[in-house]
Amino acid sequence: MSRHLPAFLIMTPMLGAFLSPLAVMLGRTARNAVLVLFSLATLVISLGIVSATMGGNVLVYVMGGESYTLTMPSGMAYPVRIMFEIDGFNALMILCVAAATFAGALFSVAYMDRFSGWKRYMSLYFMMATGALGMCATGDLFNFFVFVEVSSIASFGLVAFWRDKPEAIEASFKYMLVSQIAAMLLLIALGALYGKYNALNMAAIASMARGGTLDKIVLALFVIVLAFKCGAFPMHTWMPDAYAEAPAGVTCLLVTVSQASFYGLIRICFSIFPGVGGAVVPWILIVLGCASMFFGVMMAVVQHEIKRLMGYHSISQVGYMLMAMGVGLLAAGGAEGVYGFKAMTGGIFHMVNYSVYKALLFLCAGALYYATGTRDLDRMGGLVRSMPWTAGMFVIAAAAISGLPPFNGFISKWMIYESSFAVHPALTAIAMITSVLTLASFAKVFQAAFLGPAKAALSGVREVPCAMLAGMAALTLFILLLTLFPSWFTSRLFDNAAHALLNHQGYVSAVMGGV
Amino acid sequence: MWTQLNSGAGYWNVFVWLLFFAGMSCLVLWLRSFGRHDYMRNTLQDDIYWSGNEVPEDGAKISVPASASYWGFRVAAAPVYAFLDRLHNGSASDYAGYFVVTAALIGALVLAGGR
Repeated sequence: MSRHLPAFLIMTPMLGAFLSPLAVMLGRTARNAVLVLFSLATLVISLGIVSATMGGNVLVYVMGGESYTLTMPSGMAYPVRIMFEIDGFNALMILCVAAATFAGALFSVAYMDRFSGWKRYMSLYFMMATGALGMCATGDLFNFFVFVEVSSIASFGLVAFWRDKPEAIEASFKYMLVSQIAAMLLLIALGALYGKYNALNMAAIASMARGGTLDKIVLALFVIVLAFKCGAFPMHTWMPDAYAEAPAGVTCLLVTVSQASFYGLIRICFSIFPGVGGAVVPWILIVLGCASMFFGVMMAVVQHEIKRLMGYHSISQVGYMLMAMGVGLLAAGGAEGVYGFKAMTGGIFHMVNYSVYKALLFLCAGALYYATGTRDLDRMGGLVRSMPWTAGMFVIAAAAISGLPPFNGFISKWMIYESSFAVHPALTAIAMITSVLTLASFAKVFQAAFLGPAKAALSGVREVPCAMLAGMAALTLFILLLTLFPSWFTSRLFDNAAHALLNHQGYVSAVMGGV
Repeated sequence: MWTQLNSGAGYWNVFVWLLFFAGMSCLVLWLRSFGRHDYMRNTLQDDIYWSGNEVPEDGAKISVPASASYWGFRVAAAPVYAFLDRLHNGSASDYAGYFVVTAALIGALVLAGGR
């Protein structure tokens, strides 16, 4: 049974997507049960996968066969089967996506209750989760493309969920336009790879890729497309609009969809084309990271629309991860190998932190919108008295994202600062300035929304329903666990994930058998 | 140990930090105990002083809006914000253009790189 976990991981949310319209027709209880139970089942399966990949194990699952190859009557074997390959790194990503899916589903039960359109909301929600989980689990580049498209198309629909709002339609259109250009580039890259290697299996290509012009073109296309998808500057412009206009439960999941793209980018650079492009690729990641960090936070500081502000912070946080992974890619194989490994561990730690605290921040923003009917901070104030639970959880998430000790955000940033300093002190300086501006920005949000005298227009505001608080509490608990036991998570999960990334030969041989 | 993380150059232990925080809190409370004890709650001493004017009942009239925060920072960094405002002009064709230009630049750099 446990060896089928990768298949169940994809099947469960997909089944949820197809059952959703039926459940909505059966009534409110059936609808809520399907939404929560299918996302909970996905989370449980992801925990099983994480447990199975501990200690450096790699899960390989072939759909409809034992071997990833299909042997023709002539004796030629083609690696054409649909395959999942999960090591410590993608297992962690899968856990993040599943946790956000569950938290977003819990939150949506109450948050979306007063709106219609549940059939398409739930179906698209589960399809987006399926796409993101598939991106993280697949061992085949064409399937990766298919899952990117599944999650993208679902997210276009969900960003424009409130069709009566022109801003939502516009945000979805902009995202769709640039996304489709990116998808075409991805398809060109896949065509080029298939033309050269006669394969699209990740491990098969990793075993054959030796550099050269075509490999470099393909690598560049992957870097561009996936950097765009995860919101790197200057290709980030879709992100604040999309994050601001999507319903809060969806934004929580959108965060992890962008992380799934980040996963793809890192997998391509470390496991499939390691060393291709020389030092240029790591430096591209570092430069994109620094620019995203700095310009993202500069835009965030001056925003007064809460979800838009958080959307810009997402760009800034992605910058930390890009820089850390760039440093890891640059330094891991050289004399600074220890710092390279530390940068990767810090980057992976930050990726998990980001998925959790950013999802929580978006849920808090959703709770504020639910209670006050506005996303404009200028119209909020004094809400700590009427929404103490939301305020408390917001403070924890804001302190974590700002890198305040002792929260988990501080720990991952500390690891990134130390390791990036070994490459160049300027990188650390940019990261620290970004952190200070992040703190300034969230201090503003807290002051504007929760502190100050009570406003007459908000006199009827009450705390949000328990289901919404439960979604936020699940993520808060995760933050506190990461804060209190960083060493447990690092030694068992993050180091394991960094080792898996660096073990290029292990990734190849898990499928190819010691090629 | 589950709580201590070594970086190679130092270590982080959340409980050491919490212990330090608790110690500093005790120190602050001890210093505070030297303060005056004749303060009375729910008297005139509690009232807001607003330049001698009557304080409006609606808090909205005495709040600093979020959009006014960090005004000085924004003025000081005006050239950066002028650039960023031009970049975020809301035009979908411009956004597609940024993507294409960045793609061309990255493609050229990777092709010019080694291996």
